[in-house]
Amino acid sequence: MLWVDKYRPKSLDKVLVHEDVAQNLKKLVTEQDCPHLLFYGPSGSGKKTLIMALLRQMFGASAEKVKVENKTWKVDAGSRTIDLELTTLSSTHHVELNPSDAGFQDRYIVQEIIKEMAKNRPIDVKGKKGFKVLVLNEVDKLSREAQHSLRRTMEKYSASCRLILCCDSSSKVTEAVRSRCLNVRISAPKEDQIVKVLEFIGKKEGLQLPPGFAARIAEKSGRSLRRAILSFETCRVQQYPFTNNQVIPPMDWEEYVSEIAADIMKEQSPKRLFQVRGKLYELLVNCIPPEVILKRLLQELLKKLDSELKHEVCHWAAYYEHRMRLGQKAIFHIEAFVAKFMSIYKGFLIATFG
Amino acid sequence: MQPDIRKWFVKPHDKSDDNGKAPKPAKPTLAIPGKVSTAKDASPSSPVKSLQGGQESSGRRKTSKYFASDKQNKEDPTEVSEFTAKRKAKSDDVKPSPVKKSRKVDDDDDDDFVMPKTEKSSVETTPSKKLKSGSGKGIPNASVKEDDVVTSPKSAGRGRGRGRTAGGRGTKLESDEGNADDDEDAKEVKSAGRGRGGRGGSAAAGGGRGGGRGGFMAYGERKDPPHKGEKEVPEGSSECLSGLTFVISGTLDSLEREEAEDLIKRYGGRVTGSVSKKTNYLLCDEDIGGRKSAKAKELGTGFLTEDGLFDMIRASNRSKSTKKEDPKKQVDKIATSSKASPIKGGNKKEEVRESPQKGKATTHASPGVASSMRKKPTVGQSSLPWTEKYKPKVPNDIIGNQSLVKQLHDWLIHWNDNFLNGASKAKGKKQSDSGAKKAILLSGTPGIGKTTSAKLVSQMLGFQTIEVNASDSRGKADSKIEKGIGSSTANSVKELVSNQSLSVDFDRSKHPKAVLIMDEVDGMSAGDREKIQVNEVALEELAERVNGDMRMALNQLQYMSLSMSVIKFDDVRQRLLTSSKDEDISPFTAVDKLFGYNGGKLRMDERFDLSMSDMDLVPLLIQENYINYRPSTAGKDENGLKRLNLIARAADSIASGDIINVQIRRYQKWQLSQSSSLVSAIIPAALLRGQRETLEQGERNFNRFGGWLGKNSTMGKNYRLLEDAHVHLLASLQFNLGRSTLCLDYMSLLLKHMTDPLKTLPKDEGVEKVVEFMDAYSISQEDFESLMLMSKFQGRPNLLEGVQPAVKAALTKAYNKGSKTRVIRTADLITLPGIKKAPKKRVQAMLEPVDVGDAIVENEENNSDDVEDLEGDAEEEKPKVDIASLSSKGIQVQVDAKKASGSKKAPAAGGGGRGRGGGAAPKRKR
Repeated sequence: MLWVDKYRPKSLDKVLVHEDVAQNLKKLVTEQDCPHLLFYGPSGSGKKTLIMALLRQMFGASAEKVKVENKTWKVDAGSRTIDLELTTLSSTHHVELNPSDAGFQDRYIVQEIIKEMAKNRPIDVKGKKGFKVLVLNEVDKLSREAQHSLRRTMEKYSASCRLILCCDSSSKVTEAVRSRCLNVRISAPKEDQIVKVLEFIGKKEGLQLPPGFAARIAEKSGRSLRRAILSFETCRVQQYPFTNNQVIPPMDWEEYVSEIAADIMKEQSPKRLFQVRGKLYELLVNCIPPEVILKRLLQELLKKLDSELKHEVCHWAAYYEHRMRLGQKAIFHIEAFVAKFMSIYKGFLIATFG
Repeated sequence: MQPDIRKWFVKPHDKSDDNGKAPKPAKPTLAIPGKVSTAKDASPSSPVKSLQGGQESSGRRKTSKYFASDKQNKEDPTEVSEFTAKRKAKSDDVKPSPVKKSRKVDDDDDDDFVMPKTEKSSVETTPSKKLKSGSGKGIPNASVKEDDVVTSPKSAGRGRGRGRTAGGRGTKLESDEGNADDDEDAKEVKSAGRGRGGRGGSAAAGGGRGGGRGGFMAYGERKDPPHKGEKEVPEGSSECLSGLTFVISGTLDSLEREEAEDLIKRYGGRVTGSVSKKTNYLLCDEDIGGRKSAKAKELGTGFLTEDGLFDMIRASNRSKSTKKEDPKKQVDKIATSSKASPIKGGNKKEEVRESPQKGKATTHASPGVASSMRKKPTVGQSSLPWTEKYKPKVPNDIIGNQSLVKQLHDWLIHWNDNFLNGASKAKGKKQSDSGAKKAILLSGTPGIGKTTSAKLVSQMLGFQTIEVNASDSRGKADSKIEKGIGSSTANSVKELVSNQSLSVDFDRSKHPKAVLIMDEVDGMSAGDREKIQVNEVALEELAERVNGDMRMALNQLQYMSLSMSVIKFDDVRQRLLTSSKDEDISPFTAVDKLFGYNGGKLRMDERFDLSMSDMDLVPLLIQENYINYRPSTAGKDENGLKRLNLIARAADSIASGDIINVQIRRYQKWQLSQSSSLVSAIIPAALLRGQRETLEQGERNFNRFGGWLGKNSTMGKNYRLLEDAHVHLLASLQFNLGRSTLCLDYMSLLLKHMTDPLKTLPKDEGVEKVVEFMDAYSISQEDFESLMLMSKFQGRPNLLEGVQPAVKAALTKAYNKGSKTRVIRTADLITLPGIKKAPKKRVQAMLEPVDVGDAIVENEENNSDDVEDLEGDAEEEKPKVDIASLSSKGIQVQVDAKKASGSKKAPAAGGGGRGRGGGAAPKRKR
């Protein structure tokens, strides 16, 4: 089993980072009725871990008896019936799902399926919590309509159901939904926290960590604990015992994005744009989410960019990212960004060096 | 069409001029008809003239009728009102109608009246010229003017007005322009009207409006002409290059190749693709030493630079002006030719004019004589459309496909022998022999003459044809019933052909579409009894435009003859361009046109039509290909910055198009569809139109099919695969994250775990480790493969590289063996005896963790049932054992169980999970 999974804390007490949050959550569920919760924070900061631990805290071990279902729902949408395929993870007390998987039909999930689930009160009330929990992942990817439909559900069925929402960025969750929840911000762990965790794992695994090695991994991870642990293990698989100057391998797709960035910086021409398009397609086809590509690409470009251009380039990246969400064909927007960048950068080069 | 419309618009201004100079248009009008009639009396040729004079206007009217669907619609109402106005005018001499109407009337009067007027002045000398001036709307300008100048100052004034009109229309008729210029030189009379005309013309010379055929793509990539657009294209006489054949090679100095081609064709030259003996000139500015120039040298073909070409054209101009005779001679020639068959022509025209003429007749004070006289000659036959009228009468008339016709003929001759005299019914064995077939299937695109040839052949052989086509009832006598065979055989024939909608007797043998468009056209002009002077190049163009459909060609020709008697290249072009929207436009053609070198001259509505030809595909094609175009708007662009800027703008626009499209599709805001095509197709194309170039080695210089569709479907497939893998991972309960996390973070490490041991460890050990790992995460072999697939990037080593095939095989084997003992976590991982494979999708259930406290007894029951159902296998006991033996955490239990017992059946895991029962059960059914 992978270390990330193996050493994931199962209870709120065992949490290594965000202990304060964990303690608060514990108090929240033990002492009072639990409100709707919205967990947000960058990926790899421990939202999901906290949620699972929280559920366990609420319902005991039975929260871990989960079954996975991937079934097709028939939703009646006005004149026609829509088939929606949805994977749910559920125990007797909670259901976890990812409504944004349904793409632009996500509102049907919210309107029909989630409502349906929320309506049904759990059967046993003796001594247990009189509600069930719906865990919704990636709410920030929900369309506006879906988020709107969520509002009413949250209020109407709050007696029988609590929602735990989880997302990367709360800014993409509508105000209305946010105000109905207790917002819990899970910040990215600090590097020393990551180092602490890595050392903990190293000790458990009985590994010799050269000094500074964990710190290097932590630095490379971009403050994502998950990333750090994964690359830690990757290093372990690649070479053990560790050496101090061991390469910490980047992710394949990240490497690929860096390549694209390098291509763009090297030459700005229609031909290059065309090649870049091919590479972008490849990333997209490999299921790398377009927002991630764009963000990463921007980061890579910024690394090599003259500071006077940074602001402008960031502006355009944000512009196109926003438009990408409004649109459907991500490649068009990423390509537009690349074209824009090329034109800006080339203009800059010519202006500077003639 | 276009020019007509313009005329309406331009006229008013001229009108005012005219009115100023010739303040009483009404009176001359009166004079004309009288004139006409007298002329008629005077000489045999004059009727024709006058007819034609009349015809011109009628032709114009016709025009608008023809084009009911067009913009012209707007014209119609006014015209109607015009008529009424005229009628009123007739009754009371004063014109009571609104200003606009009266203006219109003036217009008409003017048309009618200018011509006869000029006629009057120079009837004897160049009679037919006048005709043309009447009907030809342009060319005649010159002659009209000449005459005008000669005759009277007043008419000179009118001439000027006309000249201006010509300028307005001039966009299309450069060659006319040339004429006008000639006159200018000759006469030294520089009227304002002419000056304007000249300008209009030269503007047009820039590139006749009109639409790219997509032809340019056929050429490989070329550089831009170094002095693009810097030279002025000269104007020459319309036929100055006639009879000459050109081949264009390499990059010219200032013209795009298409422009050069246009130019040559306009002046009557021919452009061919390769050098042959017939080639007169090889047009090239730099000797690139290609095959063409080599061949040209070999054949001794003359080389001509672009400047040379211009000089030639200019020279023609000059020479013409020096010997003024020339045009006249030509004119005479035309005149005689048109006289040659005056009656026929006359008839024909008569008929066409008939109805409008009536309206007109009432307009003028004394039209009675003329109109009645005109009506008379109308004969039944001439009222046929040309397509009918000029249908070949004998097989030899048939143009093209002669051999097939011959075949048909032969077959028909032998038909009797084969079927009537000999064995009356066809024998199976005979089938292979073409003569022995009972029926022939004629097939081909519409208008190439299937029906005609069949009919002719049978007629010639004395069969009586009975035509039954789709318009007849299909009930009983379907298809054409065999003609001469007699009633006795009719039934059998009917049986044979009952399902053919075309003909029995001539029926059908596969025959290829007539490809030689040129042949058809040449034949057409030769056989053209209408005596319309048609310039050959124009016909070629026509033929090209109608895509080989002869029927359509004739229809077009007939139509054009109504409005003009001399049909020129640009006329044809113009006409067909406007009608081209009626044809189906494929998305590719549409994109070609939008990006084409003429794309900038398309009207907005034309662009919309093009981009709407397929609302989904056109934007995708544009998106796929816009990078490939070198924008002609960028002009000089050494470092490519301008182009990049344009590309960035286009890309932005395309992206906006995507956003609009979402609004349209998701929220049914169809009112946005125009904006959508504007933003996603028209703007990018307008920014980047120009020459297409290739970006990759070996790429063909054609627009690629939009890549998005393919990529999107691959992406969809990969997402499905990923989802499957994700579900399996989730089912392992080791993992509870989203699939994007799986893809972004986990992927590399997972794959490393699954491939590294295979490479580094000894075979068995490695395989074992990998299988163990896969089991822990319930990764199936399909998942393994799809994860592999998704981690592949171009130019990256495959992760499985370096893994021995033997090892791979061992892995598969080990995995399959393991599947016997595998913990069942997801329904689709279960292999049921007798059932092949769970369908990939609709993974329904999974169960899971074993656990402690809950109602074990119940579980057991469920379990055993389930297991039986599932695997039909008797080892239900196991779970109990496992469960009993373990009292700790669910997950731990599983793993341990597997390790410890080395085995047994899924139920181990199932134990606890089943308890949850109800939900799990349905999914099991498979």
